[in-house]
Amino acid sequence: MASQSQLRGRKGKGPALSGPSLEPYEEEDDHAGSGVNQSRRQSSLERTLNSDKASIAIVGVLTALAFITRFYKINHPDQVVFDEVHFGKFAAHYIQREYYFDVHPPFAKLLFGLAGWFVGFDGHFQFENIGDSYTTAHVPYVGMRALPAILGSLTVPIVYAIMKESGYSSVVSAFSAILILFDNAHVAQSRLILLDATLIFFMCLTIYSYIRFRKYRFKEFSQEWWGWMIATGVFMACTWASKVNGILTVVCIGCAVLVDLWDLLDYRKSSMERFRNHFFARAVGFILVPLIVYLSFFWMHFAVLTNSGPGDSFMSPAFQETLRGNELLLNSQEIRYFDTVTIKHKNTKVFLHSHEDRYPLKYEDGRISSQGQQVTGYGHPDSNNHWQIIPTKALPETGRARVVRHDDIVQLLHVNTESYLLTHDVASPLMPTNQEFTAWPKDDLSRYNDTLFQLHLVDAHEGEAWKSKSGHFRLVHVPTKVSMWTYQNQLPDWAFKQQEINGNKNAAEKTATWYVDEIVDSESDPSLPDRTGDTPPQEPKKMNFFKKFAELQILMLQHNAGLTASHPYASSPINWPFLLSGISFWTNADEQKQIYLIGNIVSWWTCVTAIAVFIGIIGADLLARRRNIEPIPDPVRNRLWNNTGFFILVWAVHYFPFFLMSRQLFIHHYLPSHVASALVAGSVLHYILSDDTLNYPISVRGDTMRPKRQTYADLGMRGPIALLGFTFSLLFFYIYIAPLTYGTPGLDGNQVNARRLLSTWTLHFAAKVTDGA
Amino acid sequence: MNPTVRSRRPASPPLGFAPRYPHVREDHLDADARRAAASKGLTRRDIGRKDYPPGGLNIASAEWKVLFIIVIVAVLVRMFRLPQPNSVVFDEVHFGKFASKYIKSQYFVDVHPPLAKLLIAFAGFIFGYDGNFDFKDIAKPYENVPYVAMRMLPALMGVATIPIAYLTLRALECRATTAVLASLFLTFENGLVTQSRHILLDSPLVFFTALTTFVWTCFCNEDSHEPFTESWWTWLTLSGLSLGAVVSCKWVGLFTIATVGVGTLKQLWLLLGDLRVSPRLWMKHFLARALCLIIIPIVFYMSMFGIHFLILTNSGDGDGFMSSEFQHTLRGKGMADTYADVAIGSTVAIRHVNTQGGYLHSHPHNYPGGSNQQQVTLYPHLDSNNDWRIINATSEVDPDSDIDFDEPLTYITAGTRLKFRHISTQKYLHSHEIRPPVSDVDFQNEVSAYGMPHFVGDANDDWIVEIEKGDKRDKESGKRLRTLRTHFKLRHALTGCYLFSHKVKLPEWGYEQQEVTCNKNAVRDNSLWYIETNWHPDLPADAPKVNYRLPGFLGKFLELQQVMWNTNAGLTDRHTYDSRPDSWPRLRRGINFWVRDHRQIYLIGNPTVWWLSTFAVVAYAAVRGFLILRAKRGFRDFENTKVVKYDTLCGFLFVGWALHYFPFFLMGRQLFLHHYFPALYFAVLLCSGVFDLVTSSLRPRIRLQIAAILIIIAVWNFSYLSPIAYGSPWTKAKCNSARWLKTWDFNCNDFLDDVSSTCTS
Repeated sequence: MASQSQLRGRKGKGPALSGPSLEPYEEEDDHAGSGVNQSRRQSSLERTLNSDKASIAIVGVLTALAFITRFYKINHPDQVVFDEVHFGKFAAHYIQREYYFDVHPPFAKLLFGLAGWFVGFDGHFQFENIGDSYTTAHVPYVGMRALPAILGSLTVPIVYAIMKESGYSSVVSAFSAILILFDNAHVAQSRLILLDATLIFFMCLTIYSYIRFRKYRFKEFSQEWWGWMIATGVFMACTWASKVNGILTVVCIGCAVLVDLWDLLDYRKSSMERFRNHFFARAVGFILVPLIVYLSFFWMHFAVLTNSGPGDSFMSPAFQETLRGNELLLNSQEIRYFDTVTIKHKNTKVFLHSHEDRYPLKYEDGRISSQGQQVTGYGHPDSNNHWQIIPTKALPETGRARVVRHDDIVQLLHVNTESYLLTHDVASPLMPTNQEFTAWPKDDLSRYNDTLFQLHLVDAHEGEAWKSKSGHFRLVHVPTKVSMWTYQNQLPDWAFKQQEINGNKNAAEKTATWYVDEIVDSESDPSLPDRTGDTPPQEPKKMNFFKKFAELQILMLQHNAGLTASHPYASSPINWPFLLSGISFWTNADEQKQIYLIGNIVSWWTCVTAIAVFIGIIGADLLARRRNIEPIPDPVRNRLWNNTGFFILVWAVHYFPFFLMSRQLFIHHYLPSHVASALVAGSVLHYILSDDTLNYPISVRGDTMRPKRQTYADLGMRGPIALLGFTFSLLFFYIYIAPLTYGTPGLDGNQVNARRLLSTWTLHFAAKVTDGA
Repeated sequence: MNPTVRSRRPASPPLGFAPRYPHVREDHLDADARRAAASKGLTRRDIGRKDYPPGGLNIASAEWKVLFIIVIVAVLVRMFRLPQPNSVVFDEVHFGKFASKYIKSQYFVDVHPPLAKLLIAFAGFIFGYDGNFDFKDIAKPYENVPYVAMRMLPALMGVATIPIAYLTLRALECRATTAVLASLFLTFENGLVTQSRHILLDSPLVFFTALTTFVWTCFCNEDSHEPFTESWWTWLTLSGLSLGAVVSCKWVGLFTIATVGVGTLKQLWLLLGDLRVSPRLWMKHFLARALCLIIIPIVFYMSMFGIHFLILTNSGDGDGFMSSEFQHTLRGKGMADTYADVAIGSTVAIRHVNTQGGYLHSHPHNYPGGSNQQQVTLYPHLDSNNDWRIINATSEVDPDSDIDFDEPLTYITAGTRLKFRHISTQKYLHSHEIRPPVSDVDFQNEVSAYGMPHFVGDANDDWIVEIEKGDKRDKESGKRLRTLRTHFKLRHALTGCYLFSHKVKLPEWGYEQQEVTCNKNAVRDNSLWYIETNWHPDLPADAPKVNYRLPGFLGKFLELQQVMWNTNAGLTDRHTYDSRPDSWPRLRRGINFWVRDHRQIYLIGNPTVWWLSTFAVVAYAAVRGFLILRAKRGFRDFENTKVVKYDTLCGFLFVGWALHYFPFFLMGRQLFLHHYFPALYFAVLLCSGVFDLVTSSLRPRIRLQIAAILIIIAVWNFSYLSPIAYGSPWTKAKCNSARWLKTWDFNCNDFLDDVSSTCTS
């Protein structure tokens, strides 16, 4: 060991002694003296700007401006705006502790609940409609809006810090921050009770921590290294738990970690043992820690929401029984043989129904029916919905054996017409592939076998009792194995436009689920009143947290995918980087005020140009190097690949997956990507202005490495001039569009027309151009 | 350096060794293989005597004999009782119908390009089909249809796929045993057999995919030997033609194009890195490929549509999909010339631009809800209820008194305020702040017809013309309304909404005609209208007349592509037997093709072949991944020629498989098991490649024995499931025992208990 350290000690002094065995393989940006333009000294201007004091001053100014822009007239409008309808309502539910269901994870909404509670919101205001007044209902909405506004404001200094940590000069860092600072879309989005500000704030923190973590890579397993890694993990989980698309941040960091690990796997860099240590360390920091944090938010969510509320009906019966005051908890009962019940289809909420009328002999398409009694789905309560459960085995007179259980074979007797439910191999009226359902007179035993149905309770264990309300089941026909099924399709006039019921050959079909809506009082079972009479008030049942979580998570994903209804302001992802369309958040016709979510056109177009330029540079460099020409010096290329490349990764991962989603998409889904593209814009600006100079080294030196010669980026006067130019044009457009962002002052028709910079923006109150003609 | 020294230097590799093993690639052969190579007549070294893979058709006569036998077997398997069943099976409903349409030259629209359908129609035509059978339902018995001839075409293509697979593997430097294995696997693949026995497009598709793979492999072999020779150009051109043919069968052919594209990009990237290749030469490589692999397929594809349009000259049931201009090119859809100038007092028929809903229409029936006023709809057919008179809204004249003949014509310019009077019911086109009955949303207003004879109308009848665009060749049409040439919007004067229609049908009370509303937030395309017919009493008989401009071939072609794309994307309804891509490699479910008289045809693959091929794909991916990891840890596997050879071979097939499979995950439309067939073809070849690798160190006899065992299992498995491939009689018991997976949903209850009763029934 001693000789080792001696050798190492000597290495610091004499670079000539460098040997691969003694030093960890040098990373890509380890390129001292290999072509960086070092001869030029850093200019005094550059040195002043990059001093700590200057940097603090810049951050101070940026943060102050951010708070000003985000908080300016935050009390306006004093009405519910756009999705405040949802997120405000969820905060109210938290305060009322009523269970609700939403596609987004709970963290950001918990914060709103917390903010609401903090400012004394009682949760009675229901945020029913866009435009409902807050002031008349005495809602402390400013306090709730302040939360995203604070987070949105703090995003600006974080963006600055990200750039600074990535080794860019103060000017370039300020440029990226200003792109966000003076962006109308970010401002509009973070002044309202919406989730995106939280999402973006934590996304930026994640990126920041990850970069800090990467900078400690030569001091692996040090305290700081662990600290920043776990910070990354925690912030990542917060991002993910803020909004469903936060998962993209997780994917993005995941990709970066994989690239990193792949690099470490190289046999020239590390032994298998070192790799294993790195691997498990990351598994802890980037998988285990985030998972725990993410789950703990759900734990809080369940811990807060203990009462029955509007979200009950989304959940499984077992889940619903954990909520205080839930209907299932109060009314669910075991069903016994000879009970008369009404049966409802879970998805379409129609009753299993039958009536005297028969299927017509011949359908319009020429097929022939059995002419049996019609069995249909009917939406309203009716005595024709009553069915009695007839056993197929011997029963004792009384006792538990009379309870109907999972997998029992039963007959269903239609009470009014005295006939059994039956299905057979005859095509149904509307679907030639499915079987017809009909009813057969009670006395005629010739079709006995065809009237047998097996009761499959969903997710039931053997011998589980069948309960009303909570006992979801499929009714599978014994001889032909079809499952009783219905869907939203009406039969023609001969069946009074009721819904078709038929036998689905896929016996395990998910949509073939039914439940008993009610046990109807019936003569054949006098014990019924006793059973329903005095049920004691039941305590909510307990359910394993992980089961609850799994159920909710799956439902969230399913519902997220199901949000496909069209919306007038939904837009397709290809429009977003070019700012082709916005969203009308709120309008006030009296004063011609409106809030229209649209970005700062200079900011967005600069960002998208920067991405194009970057791709151009990298593409040209790749082609040139294929022909053995090296147009970009190695250190600069490494910075472009590793740093700007990372930003591009963030951008791409937060953008492209939207192309695959068929749900409703809005331009605010692009905001995280826009932040990433602002980072790209900063580094591309640096590349253009810096003349191949850069700040190096920026990573923390490992104990075993020799110190490297410091080089500095130098933008000279070009930097401040470019920054000023951009700032002024950004500020100009920001202020120009501001009436649409803040919803005040009102604009007359011509002013609105003038602000419609692109013809695709659908602003309200535009003047009619052709009126005078 | 003097020349004598050079000449004395020993040849390297040493003499005597060189001619027999001239190529580095042979280094992987071990002693056994070399011995075998020397003794056996079947290996390629003794055939071509070329120092690069033979490619193409250069195989020994002994192999031709083997190949001949395989083809005979394939014919027997594919053609066995081809006329059975003598009724319509599955999608013969569609493709048979399309053949009828071709023969009767009635225009139709289908989501697939025309090549395969043209071939089927041609087969029917040759054998005298008159096109009068309607192919209405599955299991409808054929009458007067040469359906056997029509089925023969896909069947022949199915047969032809087999030798092509054989030759492809030979061109990929696999052993003859391997090639035999692959071709017999494909021959006895129940799914491919079932699919190629009926009038369906997949068999031609698989055939052309296979052909492309073969031709492209041959080209690659030529390319690695010497570029720009005559045979190089031949194979390259053939690749292009073959690509054109795949994509002209079904759009799935685009995946084949992607496969070849990936190969081309790899070649070009390698050439770019080769500093001996000058930029000029590289450009030549690039342009040659661009010409043959981009231009030729496009030309081929377009010419198929050219033939399609040449044949379909009559109006048919596909008209409704096409624009009015297009319809006008079809016989029986022509329209008489109409007056060009639209003026106050004109009687016009107004058509919606973006949908094929038809004319602005009203009829004496009222809305059941809303204002309960008279309905306004879009109606696709000519009718006197489509006629509206244009009236100046600013002058209050009794609408029923005749128009003043003395005044000069007032043309209609942008901003003119108009009323539209429905001539047969004497009501005005009207809108108001009432939600329409179907699209009941805030930004839509109802449009109705309102008024009574001699009523001047109210302000809600006023519409303002906004001219959106005129025709470039008719300058006037940009300034004022001209029949057919001007696209315009109608803005409701009081509420500012635009007259609008979209593809939403009214319920029965509106006779399922298309809904017309007034939309405050209208999509531009759906609020555009034009005037189709126009008549004005004041116009002299010799006033300028116009008619639709007939679109040229390119216009028709592009429009049809658009329509096909939209129709294809619209096929999202669930089908009882559809399946998602993730279930295909596992063969979880088949398709019920035909059921009749206790017999069934059910599309299901040969599980042996299918699962082996999937296993090969997974195994390759796993091993390749493992090798990459090993390389990262410093193992030099990729310097081993054997690894390189099989990696190139299997990698190509794997990319083919992946590109023919994974894109389906992105598709929202209905998907069926048969969409996996092109991918299956690659998977089976890959499976054989893996076999070649695994048995490469075995003696030829043992290798042959293993292949024989595999083939016997496959054949047994084929015959086990063959009754549902051929629609032969079967028994309930046998059927039940053949249902290996619960998810194979052929209906065993339908079969009788024993075969004899099937025959009597």
